Amino acid sequence: MLEQLLIFTRGGLILWTCKEIGNALKGSPIDTLIRSCLLEERSGAVSFNYDAPGAAYTLKWTFHNDLGLVFVAVYQRILHLLYVDDLLSMVKQSFSEVYDPKRMAYDDFDETFRQLRIEAEARAEELRKTKQVGKPVTSVKKQGQVSKPGLEGGNKRVSSEGGSKKDDGDGGNKAKVSTLTNGHSNGNHQMEDDSQETNDLANGKENTSSNVAVDLSKLQKLRSKGVRGRGGVRKTDSIGNKSSKVAEPAKKATKKNRVWDDAAPKQSKLDFTDSIDENGNNDHVDIVAADQGESMMDKEEVFSSDSESEDDDEPGSDEKPAQAKKKGWFSSVFQSITGKANLERTDLGPALKALKERLMTKNVAEEIAEKLCESVEASLEGKKLSSFTRISSTVQAAMEDALVRILTPRRSIDILRDVHAAKEQRKPYVVVFVGVNGVGKSTNLAKVAYWLQQHKVSVMMAACDTFRSGAVEQLRTHARRLQIPIFEKGYEKDPAVVAKEAIQEATRNGSDVVLVDTAGRMQDNEPLMRALSKLINLNQPDLVLFVGEALVGNDAVDQLSKFNQKLSDLSTSGNPRLIDGILLTKFDTIDDKVGAALSMVYISGSPVMFVGCGQSYTDLKKLNVKAIVKTLLK
Amino acid sequence: MENLEDLKILAEQWSHQGIEYLQKIPPTQLYAAIGVLLFTTILLFLSVRLVRRTKSNTVLLSGLSGSGKTVLFYQLRDGSSHQGTVTSMEPNEGTFVLHSENTKKGKIKPVHLVDVPGHSRLRPKLEEFLPQAAAIVFVVDALEFLPNCRAASEYLYDILTNANVVKKKIPVLLCCNKTDKLTAHTKEFIRKQMEKEIEKLRASRSAVSTADIANDFTIGIEGEVFSFSHCSNKVTVAEASGLTGETVQIEDFIREYIKP
Repeated sequence: MLEQLLIFTRGGLILWTCKEIGNALKGSPIDTLIRSCLLEERSGAVSFNYDAPGAAYTLKWTFHNDLGLVFVAVYQRILHLLYVDDLLSMVKQSFSEVYDPKRMAYDDFDETFRQLRIEAEARAEELRKTKQVGKPVTSVKKQGQVSKPGLEGGNKRVSSEGGSKKDDGDGGNKAKVSTLTNGHSNGNHQMEDDSQETNDLANGKENTSSNVAVDLSKLQKLRSKGVRGRGGVRKTDSIGNKSSKVAEPAKKATKKNRVWDDAAPKQSKLDFTDSIDENGNNDHVDIVAADQGESMMDKEEVFSSDSESEDDDEPGSDEKPAQAKKKGWFSSVFQSITGKANLERTDLGPALKALKERLMTKNVAEEIAEKLCESVEASLEGKKLSSFTRISSTVQAAMEDALVRILTPRRSIDILRDVHAAKEQRKPYVVVFVGVNGVGKSTNLAKVAYWLQQHKVSVMMAACDTFRSGAVEQLRTHARRLQIPIFEKGYEKDPAVVAKEAIQEATRNGSDVVLVDTAGRMQDNEPLMRALSKLINLNQPDLVLFVGEALVGNDAVDQLSKFNQKLSDLSTSGNPRLIDGILLTKFDTIDDKVGAALSMVYISGSPVMFVGCGQSYTDLKKLNVKAIVKTLLK
Repeated sequence: MENLEDLKILAEQWSHQGIEYLQKIPPTQLYAAIGVLLFTTILLFLSVRLVRRTKSNTVLLSGLSGSGKTVLFYQLRDGSSHQGTVTSMEPNEGTFVLHSENTKKGKIKPVHLVDVPGHSRLRPKLEEFLPQAAAIVFVVDALEFLPNCRAASEYLYDILTNANVVKKKIPVLLCCNKTDKLTAHTKEFIRKQMEKEIEKLRASRSAVSTADIANDFTIGIEGEVFSFSHCSNKVTVAEASGLTGETVQIEDFIREYIKP
């Protein structure tokens, strides 16, 4: 039973809502849809799930790009209405005939809508009846019934869908926000209370090739899978979660040494910190005064202004797109002069494919490039070509727009301002650097410390990497060179406790910022991720900075999504702290393959706050959005 | 007297010569030449007219997402906000006579009103419209002011330090929206809070190295607490309510700068 169907312009004015179903929507699902999905360039997704206290909705939408209209249908997630897509497209068609830019009220559309809905429901019911396979006749009947909302409401709760409660194998998508990828539909009849909160984008691939008899086949599939679900890691995580929660209380014992498979048993002592006091070593280390010059954060960005030449479009791409482009070239030229054609998927196809490959040659993860292209396609389909423009240039412009939109930060990334705000409250501003092994956390931590120092902010480092040999010494050297205090407790200590004590120390001696270095860890490593989550939960840092290298390829998507997921899964409080910002390192090693920045920003939604472009203290700069977009599309 | 007569005779001679010369040219060439001359003069005339029209009539409605810009836009245009609004994804533009002035007689110059989306991802759109703006209305949600105070002040700071705004001294109206609600803050309170926040911003952004390119200009007077009166362009504060149609103060502001 549809909760609401809205038609609004892209400029924000609601043109029509269905008055028959006058239910007020709880929370603000439409605004959340726009902010977290459509403006995030995920408009190629199939549907959007929204949770508010007291309601769980699923939203589906479609665009009419020519007139600039958006059609959104909202319904309860428990119900799996099959006729929504159909209904939306019919509504789109009939409304675009009635639409007039001058008119603001469309009351006569109510009648049309009612008829369309009856039609759609009837059609869906027919389909279901023809392909029905036995049992849950009850579910069919319930959804097939038109009107009588009160009755429906009651029936919703009782369900043979209650049978699907058994299937917690789907990894409990009781997510706050989760979007579905194309062709992979989630168990939308996922109700309550698998208390796991996953923020997952790559769902278990339960394909429903036909919309039909979904309930039944899904139920059967899921029942058979049970806890032993698909989707690999996520499911094992959920199992791991449950088992870990049980194991936690029993595991009060001391931490055991990590034993690698082929290693000989190690000697007992692993703590090599010198017991000699550090004063003796002072003389050897050069103390670098803050005279290495300005950090590149503060320098003006000088980039060459290449003339925008559209003629050398695709130099090295495949044969096929080139040929398809040639064939389409003549017709597109013709159309571009007349400028009247409506863009169809077939027209956009080759241009988008070429663009996607270009993006992939620039090291954008494949999944991200795909989603982006779908989103651009969704926003261009049906639009009229303006005169004297080719299809490829329209597509390019739309893609450029989308890229700028993604890379523009959603919130302010002015760290200095945040530091000052924290200073006023007399607490230190805590930054935690997380990431996988070897991306440059310690090095870039030193660079950030240098930059902050130049801006007259007092910094303190906390050496919470208590695992890697030499990590503490490394930080100690940086601290000595920059003349900033460092808090360390040696090796084999609990990082969370070390961080806590460091923050207390900072409050005591009045440091403005505490930079916490953590050990590198792979995103799949359950115990290490748990330790990280404990550190973050215990200390509630102001900024969780994910350090990622620009050389990473498709793994960026995996790293970031798993980190975010673990942090939200294992969080004890209601508001889990996720990754707040990204620090992109080794940027000088990639020439123009800057795609990693895009993948990371897209998948996590957090902005790139710093870019590390070298190995000395001054090599830290801000991300230049326009330059990156230009490089990506060159 | 003699000089005049000499001049007259000379002029007559020249005119005779000119006419003879003209009559010698074949007619088609003549017409072509006249045609080209006429064309260029028309072009020149038009371009001069266009260039002379430096007085733009664009008013920008900006502010954070959710402050009520789209509602105000439709109120100013149609007198009602129709069936409600959602977060805008694109700017709303229109050139029209303000709705309350529809009843006035006589030719009133229409206003080009632009409602720029407030969502931070769409911030670059504001940059596109700033060069042509004659006045800016910065809408602030008076109801949910304190949680958004920082973000609003950062946005306002970015606008006030924008090169276009400073150079052309574009006037800014700080409009407190949603004042029909009981718990909405007063405009004085909002003004003081914004001034305080901008003062903090000023300190943090200009205490930085001199090569900070985050903002083109700094505002306010060195050494003194920031106040809106320090800005070179005029900043005023007003109250409004989009839902009830209380937009008198905004309209006065617009009319002050876009002469009817």
